[in-house]
Amino acid sequence: MSPKTRIYLQPTPVRIWHWLNALGIITLCVTAVQIRFPEHVHMFANYKTAILLHNAAGLVVTFSFTLWFIYYALVSRNMFKVYVPSKDDLQYGILRQAKFYLLTYFLGWANPHHPTPENKFNPMQKSAYLAIMFLLVPLVSLTGLLLTNVSPMRDLVLLIGGLKILIAIHFLLACSLCAFLFTHVYLATLGKTPMAYIKPMWTGWEEEGAEEHPHKAS
Amino acid sequence: MRILSKIKQIGLLMSLLTLLPFMVAAMENSECMDCHGDADMVGKELTIEPLTFDNTAHAEVGCHACHASITDQHPDDGLAPSKAACNECHDEVNDEYGNSLHAGYADCNDCHNPHQVRGPTAVSGQDMNLKCAICHERTEMLETHGEWLPQADLHISNLPCVTCHSASDEYVISLYIIKRQSGTMFGKFDLATYDELHEFSGGKPIERLVDTNADGYISLAELRMFNLDPAKKQLRLQGMMTPERLSHDFMTLDNRWDCSFCHASGPGAMQVSYLSLAQGDGAFKRIAVEKGAVLDALYGTPDFYMVGSTRSKALNYVGLVILAGGMVMPIGHGTLRFLTRKNRKNEEE
Ligand code: HEC
Ligand code: HEC
Ligand code: HEC
Ligand code: HEC
Ligand code: HEC
Ligand code: HEC
Ligand code: HEM
Repeated sequence: MSPKTRIYLQPTPVRIWHWLNALGIITLCVTAVQIRFPEHVHMFANYKTAILLHNAAGLVVTFSFTLWFIYYALVSRNMFKVYVPSKDDLQYGILRQAKFYLLTYFLGWANPHHPTPENKFNPMQKSAYLAIMFLLVPLVSLTGLLLTNVSPMRDLVLLIGGLKILIAIHFLLACSLCAFLFTHVYLATLGKTPMAYIKPMWTGWEEEGAEEHPHKAS
Repeated sequence: MRILSKIKQIGLLMSLLTLLPFMVAAMENSECMDCHGDADMVGKELTIEPLTFDNTAHAEVGCHACHASITDQHPDDGLAPSKAACNECHDEVNDEYGNSLHAGYADCNDCHNPHQVRGPTAVSGQDMNLKCAICHERTEMLETHGEWLPQADLHISNLPCVTCHSASDEYVISLYIIKRQSGTMFGKFDLATYDELHEFSGGKPIERLVDTNADGYISLAELRMFNLDPAKKQLRLQGMMTPERLSHDFMTLDNRWDCSFCHASGPGAMQVSYLSLAQGDGAFKRIAVEKGAVLDALYGTPDFYMVGSTRSKALNYVGLVILAGGMVMPIGHGTLRFLTRKNRKNEEE
């Protein structure tokens, strides 16, 4: 057995952001259920607790998003490269990756994508994360901030069309985020072993070959 | 034939007789109002706004009933006329209020002008709050309530104090038309006055601003039309949860600490709403709104939302579909993954 090579895939700020974000978003989803359906759901002792927890988690997500943004935009300065799919990704990459997930994965073939720090996401991840990080998370955070400050920001709320429109946007985007979460967590277990992708997100280091399937290597 | 018309005549006479006390009251009222309805005659302090007074329940009682000691020589006699105490006629409310802690802080007349009385459904929530604001200053209330109430400013602006500080067995959503202060882009919204509404309705009865087909009922379609009409951009609907009756104990009700009294009552409790419009005499008139209008997903009441209780069912279903979409990969892919696990067998070693 040859010594495994390891690559440093997830820098510390990204990992801090990610797990703060995950904790925040899961808290948001859980509290949100009680906030929307209070007469049916009684997870937290009272309604106010659910609201305050939701507001706090929203601030955590907004704060960690800022951290993420600052890191990629100002420190590592490779946001564009990491997150925006290239022309090649759009033309061939996405199809290739989809074919892997939907067909060749089941046949036991290797993942066509090999992550490097500069190109750590496969084309499908890139597109999904682009939508999540540049659209969903900012918009949910922004609508959430408005919803926690309705009176002082009434004019902005009216500009959007009113409180109810704001709620509708917040609710539907949040559902999308939650739907992403299901898919995301599932796909995160799709490595060689279920933890093979999750561990690097925690430690930063990826064992070379985590995404590969062995009969090619052996 | 003759008998019939006789009966008719008697009927007319009888109905006139039953109306007599009111007609007398009205006649006497107008006698007093010759002077007291005119600020030039008696000065501002002693003026009673005729339009306002004439449509109160007290107009039927009449000036004399409450100022019984008044003489024919008034005002030249120099005597101060008597002023009836409220408990002479309102013993029930008087007892209730008398037993409350608040009776030590304020009299009936601190909150009521006997010449401008209205029931709780004939005033706006904002007007009710003006009564309390005489003694309980808004900024102070924002501060004390903000200690425990999330978004206290939103609550204090959109709820009558009595919704939390007085018991009622029924609450409804009252919609008021508010208007942006003229000529400004981001100016404050204030309750639209009768005159302002009249300007917008272009001479038609102001109800027609929303009730376009004039059937005395506001359908969801009419509500949406009003909210989307660009010509009425300066006007908006403000919703308030208002009591249908109120108890006069003005205390802190225990369950009003608990947000769920309002927010977890469920959409079932939010079915009844009214549009409440300022009239020329200062009272508010209500027009029934289609059942469940405030639960409409978007344009029924675009700026009224009570978290938890006015959620839209349609949006719930859209949300569910989105979430189900998120489960396609875990469930669909997961199943195939399990079935084909042998193909990837040696990787687990
Ligand atoms: C001719 C004009 C005139 C008419 C008619 C008139 N009042 Fe007066 N009223 C006055 C004036 C002037 C005063 C102020 C007298 C004063 O300050 O001594 C007054 C004072 C009063 C006050 C006392 C206000 C206070 O400060 O306590 C009452 C109550 C009152 N009027 C009721 C009535 C009622 C009820 C009627 C009808 C039955 C009536 N008035 C008819 C001119 C009028
Ligand atoms: C339901 C009882 C009631 C009726 C009806 C009533 N008043 Fe009064 N009025 C009072 C009371 C009580 C006061 C004393 C108010 C106070 O002390 O604040 C008063 C005060 C007044 C005053 C003194 C100024 C003021 O506003 O405090 C005038 C003038 C007056 N009334 C005139 C009239 C006239 C004229 C009518 C009929 C058009 C009339 N009132 C009908 C109960 C009544
Ligand atoms: C002479 C009898 C009488 C006196 C005195 C009297 N009222 Fe009334 N009041 C009535 C009647 C009659 C009504 C209409 C029926 C009802 O609501 O009880 C009424 C109604 C009201 C209403 C409700 C109005 C509405 O449209 O529902 C208020 C508020 C009110 N009175 C306050 C007062 C106050 C405050 C006082 C003391 C200053 C007072 N009343 C004194 C007879 C009186
Ligand atoms: C702390 C303020 C306050 C005090 C004090 C007060 N009221 Fe009221 N009352 C209100 C408010 C608010 C309403 C709702 C209608 C309105 O705003 O006019 C009301 C409504 C009423 C009504 C109409 C009730 C109904 O359901 O139709 C009557 C009658 C009445 N009050 C009588 C009295 C009497 C009599 C007293 C004195 C014993 C009194 N009020 C003291 C604030 C007060
Ligand atoms: C004439 C002055 C006055 C008016 C008007 C008035 N209040 Fe009060 N109220 C007081 C005073 C004084 C206190 C006792 C000091 C305090 O708690 O601020 C008080 C106390 C209270 C309390 C606390 C009672 C408790 O159990 O400790 C409540 C609730 C309240 N008021 C509600 C209202 C509402 C609602 C209105 C309007 C319908 C109103 N008040 C109008 C003077 C007034
Ligand atoms: C959402 C419900 C709600 C609304 C709306 C509300 N209150 Fe209260 N209020 C409460 C509760 C609950 C308490 C008890 C809190 C405490 O003791 O700290 C309270 C306490 C008070 C007190 C006694 C403590 C203090 O702050 O001095 C007064 C007075 C009072 N409210 C007046 C008002 C007035 C006036 C308004 C309208 C401007 C109003 N409240 C609106 C729920 C409400
Ligand atoms: C328990 C919940 C979660 C788990 C187990 C999880 C797992 C992972 C793993 C293993 C990775 C690295 C693999 C990869 O690069 O794709 C990753 C990356 C990522 N995750 Fe998650 N995640 C969770 C929650 C979330 C949430 C709630 C969001 C956003 C709303 C999110 C957004 C992202 C993004 C944008 C990346 C790429 C990060 C980067 O490197 O810049 N994750 N996640």
